[in-house]
Amino acid sequence: MSARPTTPASPKNFQIKGPQPGMPLYGCEHVQRLFNQDQATTNTSVQHYKAILRNILDLPAMQAQTAKAMDSGAITTSLTPTYLCLQCPSILSEEDLAKHGSRKSHRFYVDSRSGALYCQMCEDIVWDPTLEELRQRKIATGTFTPRRKRKQDEMLAADPIKDDPKYITNNTTLTSCKANGLRGIYNAGATCYQNVVLQTFLHNPILRNFYLSDRHSSSSCDIPYCLSCAMDDMFQDFYAHENTNGYTAANILSGFWISEKKAFENLVTTKEQDAHEFFQFLAEELHERNGDGMRPESGSEHSCNCIIHQTFYGKLQSTTTCQNCSGVTNQVQSFLDLSLPLENLAQKKGKKSGSGSKATSMTLQECLEEEYIKQDKCEYRCNSCNSMQQARRQTSIKMLPNVVSIQLKRFEFKQGRNERAAKIETPVHFPLTLNMLPYTERARNFNTKEYPEWGRAATYDLMSVVVHVGEIDTGHYVSYCRVGDQWFAFNDHKVELASKSEVLGAKAYLLFYIIRSLG
Amino acid sequence: MASDPDSTGKAGVVVAPPECSALEKLSHSVLDDLLYNIVHDLVLNVHREEKMARARTAAIRIEKMAADASESSTPDSRPDVRIETDAAIYEDNRVLLKGNPLKTTKDILCPRCHLPRLLQPTDGKGAKKQDPSIIYCKKHPYIEKAGHDIYGQTWVAPGPGRGKKKKDLEKKLDGADPSSPAAAAEGTIKDRPAHVLSFPSATCSKCKRCILVTRLNNHMGACIGNSGRNASRTAAQKISNGGSNGGSQNNDNTPPGSQRGTSLPASRAASPRKRDGDEFDEDADESDPTNPKKKKLKPTTLTRKVVLKKAPSAAGTPLAATKKDKVKTSSMLNMEQKIDADDGKDLTVQVASKKVMPGKGGHLQPRS
Ligand SMILES: [Zn+2]
Ligand SMILES: [Zn+2]
Ligand SMILES: [Zn+2]
Ligand SMILES: [Zn+2]
Ligand SMILES: [Zn+2]
Ligand SMILES: [Zn+2]
Ligand SMILES: [Zn+2]
Repeated sequence: MSARPTTPASPKNFQIKGPQPGMPLYGCEHVQRLFNQDQATTNTSVQHYKAILRNILDLPAMQAQTAKAMDSGAITTSLTPTYLCLQCPSILSEEDLAKHGSRKSHRFYVDSRSGALYCQMCEDIVWDPTLEELRQRKIATGTFTPRRKRKQDEMLAADPIKDDPKYITNNTTLTSCKANGLRGIYNAGATCYQNVVLQTFLHNPILRNFYLSDRHSSSSCDIPYCLSCAMDDMFQDFYAHENTNGYTAANILSGFWISEKKAFENLVTTKEQDAHEFFQFLAEELHERNGDGMRPESGSEHSCNCIIHQTFYGKLQSTTTCQNCSGVTNQVQSFLDLSLPLENLAQKKGKKSGSGSKATSMTLQECLEEEYIKQDKCEYRCNSCNSMQQARRQTSIKMLPNVVSIQLKRFEFKQGRNERAAKIETPVHFPLTLNMLPYTERARNFNTKEYPEWGRAATYDLMSVVVHVGEIDTGHYVSYCRVGDQWFAFNDHKVELASKSEVLGAKAYLLFYIIRSLG
Repeated sequence: MASDPDSTGKAGVVVAPPECSALEKLSHSVLDDLLYNIVHDLVLNVHREEKMARARTAAIRIEKMAADASESSTPDSRPDVRIETDAAIYEDNRVLLKGNPLKTTKDILCPRCHLPRLLQPTDGKGAKKQDPSIIYCKKHPYIEKAGHDIYGQTWVAPGPGRGKKKKDLEKKLDGADPSSPAAAAEGTIKDRPAHVLSFPSATCSKCKRCILVTRLNNHMGACIGNSGRNASRTAAQKISNGGSNGGSQNNDNTPPGSQRGTSLPASRAASPRKRDGDEFDEDADESDPTNPKKKKLKPTTLTRKVVLKKAPSAAGTPLAATKKDKVKTSSMLNMEQKIDADDGKDLTVQVASKKVMPGKGGHLQPRS
């Protein structure tokens, strides 16, 4: 039990969470008694609880899942939960709980699968505010220290606005409990490709916090037809008004029509367009409205700190190694999204499986692995060799963004005699929780098994899915967004409940994953 | 794993047939344990949510009693009284639980408005009639009912479009709704129940005309863009030329003009605003060049703005952009490139060809 310190000596006295309105001070009367014995008992209990959580969450599961039977002394490892005594280092099976309790008068046990606290006297799991905060923070961030106190992790993008999105409604003033951000957006005539992207923005906690904390206020901005102001107005309408009818995104639309972005000129039509391009357009437009006014590429060290950069932008590093002289070139590039070429990957996977034809389905992780773990060959001009050489190139993620946006490239333009765009229907299975660590530069250079906290810091939860349904030119866009644990389906003005299986079964076009450790 | 040969895992649901190998029995019991764990995790989540909500309810209730009991005129200070109920004790300005809130507290109060939460939806799956004598919190359980949205709303179904066929797809997505009163909706607005909505109109920010929402894009194309068809021509040209857009993406990802919006005429009286724009012909190139576009569009009804009380620490983010930030560039954010300073010493070679970075037109890469 190396993970369970036996010496209770703590340099600092632990303070339990103070009283908060609308919240009991303790999980139950018995926890209250435990925390009111003396400071030493409180310190020991909290220290043990932390040690148990570390054991459960950081060490191999074998540790906590192995219990010693009280009578026979038999060691059993089980798949189902065991109970770790809060007051001594024992690990018990469910059957032995009562016996251990009566023999040792130990009354609190931690469930080995979740870290939840079981009170034997209540005969129930109790949710103590102090201990629950520790558990939540450990699960989310891998550490007990709040993130803002930790030193900046270079693997992750700049800290975003950190407030817990769950409590946002509790902290807003004036709003009705009905104003929850769940509204559809009317199709203004082939604009469903915009609506799906707007919904993913509306249900992005980082962007929501930004706009609801008045960081780009439409009342103090003078830019005519500013799209960021239009976003600000939209967030207000969604989160401050009781209206459940669909929203008319007229300001967004006029901002879109008036925008002078040459790069997106072809988007500005009355025809249905690509949701991914609209996402890029919106991101760039909002960057320009909220950024430092510099061209993003000016100066090699210039990194924008605007809300869009803080939310979506990460960095890729590609390393090219000359096969002749072993010289290495590193190139860093920032990215708004990761784009995965399905056609290629499906063909490659098909070849590998020996079937010769395209793979019938893939996983998101396979696609990411192909792009950000595997090497490829290329030709390039080597400076030391002063000639064209064969080289190996590998690209990995140098800095992860707070929201990882992934495009599954389903639209390919087939060249040749019958030039046409085709839609690739290959299903790509994507998870609710995604570990991005394997695709980082760090995973290439370190044995990540030794740093379990990195994996936790690189854990992302699925936030939104944009789906293109139907044929390439008669299709329609819908999206799914998650609010807390509940998923919602957005089809223009209509919002419906969606099950996780419905979401996971969708043929995704765009995926948005948000970092878990926002806390 | 249990040693008893007849037993299985903890759930006791997946049981191996009596005549089978030890391995088969083991795999059954593993599967059974996994099933147990899934259920365990689900139950734990529900338990947490429910028990915490009840504990808070007990706290809210007793705090209110304490506030009522004390004569203090300053509402913010916590009253100095002792109160005890079946569920909690209020003492020394603290709330202490008594017993298990799952047993002591039967309902849930909203932590924001302190009104009771409605626990069953009012319509659709699992619906229950609400007690009319109780004022509930406005956050209701979401409604699950075919053809209705989460608020139980439906829309006046699109009538005969202006020469456009209704897409089969849309039918599929909206779900068939046989009970929809839409068929009778045109002209019988008075009979329409409150949950049946019609498509609204919006004011064009340039010409200030009132336009039915489903025609807004087409209208703006003509009114603001004045190049709706020009732009689409440009786009078509670009696609055939293989021109780049966004600096980061190839046109082959773009589904060429897909579904044009289905025209959805709303019932006439739906909009309180003037409706002269309703008849706006989407095909008319009717822009108004004299109308200045400097006029800033403002939200119509918003007087008080909702802002988070606790402004998050500004992680160096500049506040709202000011006027002079107005930069118009054909920005190519994704192409920001630099040589990593840390690895500068390795800089013996340079990449010669402009390769397409993975993630950006990655399928064009010369990959092995
Ligand atoms: Zn013990
Ligand atoms: Zn207890
Ligand atoms: Zn603005
Ligand atoms: Zn920026
Ligand atoms: Zn070389
Ligand atoms: Zn409420
Ligand atoms: Zn107009």
